[in-house]
Amino acid sequence: MDPRFTELLAPFLKFGKDKQITPESNLRALGLDSMRSIELLFAIEDTYGISLPDDEMTDATFATAGSLWHAITAQLPDETGART
Amino acid sequence: MDLTELGDRVARVAEEHATRTDRDAVFPAEALAELRATRLLGLLVPVEHGGLGGTTEDVVDLGIRLGRADMSVAMIFTMHCQQVAAVVRHAAEPLRSQLLGRLGQGQEYLASVTTEAGKGGHLLSAEAALHGDGSRLHVDRFAPIVTGGAHADGFLITMRSPDAESPNEVSLVYAHRDQLDVSGSGDWQPMGMRASHSIPLKLVGSVPAHQVIGQHGKFPEISTTIFAPMAHLGWSATWLGTAAGALSRVLRLLRGPEGRKRFDVGSELLLTRLSRARQRLDGVHALLRRATDTVRDALDLSVPNHQLLLNALKITAAEQCHAAVQDLIDAVGLRHGYLKDSPTRLEQALRDLRSASLNYSNDRLHLADGRLALLDPEVRLV
Ligand SMILES: Cc1cc2nc3c(=O)[nH]c(=O)nc-3n(C[C@H](O)[C@H](O)[C@H](O)COP(=O)(O)OP(=O)(O)OC[C@H]3O[C@@H](n4cnc5c(N)ncnc54)[C@H](O)[C@@H]3O)c2cc1C
Repeated sequence: MDPRFTELLAPFLKFGKDKQITPESNLRALGLDSMRSIELLFAIEDTYGISLPDDEMTDATFATAGSLWHAITAQLPDETGART
Repeated sequence: MDLTELGDRVARVAEEHATRTDRDAVFPAEALAELRATRLLGLLVPVEHGGLGGTTEDVVDLGIRLGRADMSVAMIFTMHCQQVAAVVRHAAEPLRSQLLGRLGQGQEYLASVTTEAGKGGHLLSAEAALHGDGSRLHVDRFAPIVTGGAHADGFLITMRSPDAESPNEVSLVYAHRDQLDVSGSGDWQPMGMRASHSIPLKLVGSVPAHQVIGQHGKFPEISTTIFAPMAHLGWSATWLGTAAGALSRVLRLLRGPEGRKRFDVGSELLLTRLSRARQRLDGVHALLRRATDTVRDALDLSVPNHQLLLNALKITAAEQCHAAVQDLIDAVGLRHGYLKDSPTRLEQALRDLRSASLNYSNDRLHLADGRLALLDPEVRLV
């Protein structure tokens, strides 16, 4: 995952302080509720200049840091090479 | 025997005791006994576990049928079915076979413990935590409002998962009454839903570790896929049945000999009020059937448009069923709209239905729906 992404994520996880964010990090358990997920979505879209498709607005997408990152990379132009 | 006949049997018993259980705010023990005897308590239990193998649609049909007789009995039944649905979908062996076997025989009535002091109706967080020591889970939980809590054989309880890092890690655990020390004052003096006997309880005890339903921390998933959908369908069916029963009793009164003398059925005001009440119920009914089909067919209920439909059902049913009874009270006036002893029983229906918008707060659902609406900019209607 791109360090920009984990940095962006941190303030939305009120129970994630002092914890390393890994692809397996459970976002809901770390404090991402439905209100915060809207704000997080806006932050992602601003940061990466993308728009996540309506079809991705499921619990599965917002389940873990890895699943959310996967949804983001699917919208990034390939040449950024950010896909890790 | 077909389900309609079984539902009629329970409804007859419920109706027989409705005035007393409402007046005295006591649990409808006779109706529960009939739910056991008909094995409707095992409606959703698969046939291979000895149950009736019924569907969500059957729960909705029976919720409406029982609601026509008594709203508290209907809610007791549909909420029990919500608990059973969670067990059927998520309980693992050995709990699964043991519990479904008892449920299938109608031997076990399950109460629901999700509300907690301090968080109100917020489903996806929990204050009191489970403590595990490997083989057992220790439960110590205050439950401010538990429908049928004094009569339940078992409880499904939400609590913070053992070793949780946040209040958002919530587990659902089953406890049999014998595994708990159940205490409480028994105080219950509400406006309506008096026969639901929804008392505050303190539950303390310990259960084998395998009595967690699904895995630890998995309650949010259970909630989205089963708990919330079944609650909204079951409640809406209950409320619709209550309002439909009220309308039916008013129409029979108007068409009977006394009604023909007392009321002018040519009155445009009366006709318009009857029309409005009926219109509200047809709207709720259509939404309820649509939502029931969606729950049956949808691959992922977590997508915003499905959640929006289910929440819209709950909010709309709560508002419209209550409003329909208000219309009817204006339509028939003081004697048959406001006095307790009228055969229309509008007075009780109105008090009972007043709980609908509070029972999982409509305000809370509107906030959720506003956010969900933002996640569906295309507005994909279901
Ligand atoms: C007849 C009946 C039977 C019931 N049986 C059971 C049962 O068996 N088991 C069980 O666990 N529960 C049961 N409940 C409780 C029910 O499920 C809800 O939890 C409860 O009605 C919500 O109570 P509340 O209004 O205090 O809490 P809240 O939902 O917290 O609402 C409190 C107030 O805050 C407002 N509010 C809205 N959104 C928010 C928000 N985001 N944050 C904070 N406040 C908000 C609400 O509009 C309301 O005015 C029952 C309720 C009724 C009426």
